Amino acid sequence: MTARTPLLLLLLALSPCATAHAGVWGTLRSWIGLGERVQTTPQKRAMPRIRISAFTGGTGGSAAQVLRKELLDSREFFVAGADEKGDFSVEGYSVGGRVDAKLLDAKGRKLFQRSYAAPGLDENLKAFADDVIYTITGRPGLATSRIVFVSDKTGRKQIYVCDSEGGEVHQVTHDRHGAVSPSIAPDSSMVAFTSYRSGFPAIRLLDLNAGWERGITDTSGSSFGSAFSPDGTHLAAVMSFIGNPEIFVSDLNSNTAMCVSDTIGAPSNPSWSPDGKHLVFANDDGDGPRLYIAEVPESEGVAAKLYRWRTGYHFCADPEWSPDGHHIAFTTRRSGEWAVAIKPYPSGSVRILQSSGAQHPSWSPNGRFMTYVQHGDLYVHDLRSGGRRQLLRGFGRISEPRWMR
Amino acid sequence: MMTQGHTPRMNLLPRIATAPLAAPVQRWFAALGLLLSSCGGLPSLPFLKPSPADTVIYALPPRSGNSPLNATLTPACPALVFDQDAIQLASTHEQDIRRVATECSARPKRRLLIAGYSRPDLPPGHARALSDRRSHAVRQRLIELGMEAADVQTVGFGNDFAPTAPSSDVVVIYQHD
Repeated sequence: MTARTPLLLLLLALSPCATAHAGVWGTLRSWIGLGERVQTTPQKRAMPRIRISAFTGGTGGSAAQVLRKELLDSREFFVAGADEKGDFSVEGYSVGGRVDAKLLDAKGRKLFQRSYAAPGLDENLKAFADDVIYTITGRPGLATSRIVFVSDKTGRKQIYVCDSEGGEVHQVTHDRHGAVSPSIAPDSSMVAFTSYRSGFPAIRLLDLNAGWERGITDTSGSSFGSAFSPDGTHLAAVMSFIGNPEIFVSDLNSNTAMCVSDTIGAPSNPSWSPDGKHLVFANDDGDGPRLYIAEVPESEGVAAKLYRWRTGYHFCADPEWSPDGHHIAFTTRRSGEWAVAIKPYPSGSVRILQSSGAQHPSWSPNGRFMTYVQHGDLYVHDLRSGGRRQLLRGFGRISEPRWMR
Repeated sequence: MMTQGHTPRMNLLPRIATAPLAAPVQRWFAALGLLLSSCGGLPSLPFLKPSPADTVIYALPPRSGNSPLNATLTPACPALVFDQDAIQLASTHEQDIRRVATECSARPKRRLLIAGYSRPDLPPGHARALSDRRSHAVRQRLIELGMEAADVQTVGFGNDFAPTAPSSDVVVIYQHD
């Protein structure tokens, strides 16, 4: 050990150039018993090239055009011309809006073939584009994803859904006193929200396909801030029927709930980790909200863990875990203005993504984009390029956007 | 109807392990305690109060009565104004809360709805949580002053109804007669 100490000091001095001398560094680390450092720098891969072969059938021409646009908009591929070579190719036929299509690799082997029979041609091609993106990249596409948000356009706060381009906006609640705090299920089939229908806040579940609606909480006090678990079977929310506001996780099948927090403050906005084992939420003990992580017990009777997750900021609200679990985005206050920030989990430096009044961040399902509101308008931010665009403007005052996970 | 399952109890603050005190030190603390307990006129020392974590919390009664959203309810006292980010009661609230508790003791059938509101510039989720927590703080004080827990309900509206509802950091005690 004594002989190794000067060498250890030498290694520490060399540490800034460790990346450049990874081989030497790894050997020396191994020699002193620290193990070899695993190189984590991701390899930059070229975007795959995809070729759209001719689509046959009555609506085949339109189908090829729409599919080309969807694949270009995804920014996941170079879209090759019909006479160019590609790493992948798509082909199929379309009649009356129905689409039968398949994805082939460069050697012509079929990767999948599916039929899409939704009422609209665009809807079918969006679903096909998302299947192509998921098969090639392993990440979900955004063509069929939905963003749910609150707007006071009608004079009362109601819940709306739009697609990832800000189109196809639909009002989904028409509650007498309004509805707020929405969360959309992972398969976008259901929306959980807080309804003021009875005059008191209660969480309800709306099936977007079938149209039925049911109450989730029939308890006194307040219920708000619902968030679907990644598998869609549980709902985390703030409830105060026990005489104290706490974070509860309710099982949507058995209608039972368990408390996963023990605060003396004001907890809000729970968000699930991608593996469904942890929740991040904001809690205010009287000096501004801070972020806490709660471990969700797998079964009753198991002690839960709860700890503070420090960000370095005194005001942290609306946390949301990234789809890969490596970051948490939240609203903070900087120089008296709201700002959207991102911090690596479990540790790392906070990055301010957007200041000047930006609030309530929500990640896209593929983790490449983030939506937030700024001065009542809805924005989408490209996390790779840094560019951003306005999705909805002048649509009342928009708040609480949540992207489908 | 939701049922409550496992409720783990955790504390955000680490507990400090205490070693047994020596006998002379114990006697000294006992004498100090006796002295302090004899000083009834002195204001109570903050560190001698039970911590919030040790306070007995009473579950809310089943919902009954109207909401201020669908009926005109009469406030039992002027709105209690909270400082920004404050979740605990201030000394300025005590007089109004005591008066409400005294009036309610004279009219045992009176039930109260305590509604929290917050300013519109707060993030909506945090605003709801903050207003709900403040309404629970008021309820807890009313119970300490002798009100039946079953007669006091709470709700936190946050800033969801600004500007038609109160649009500042206030708690309003409504009375159901």
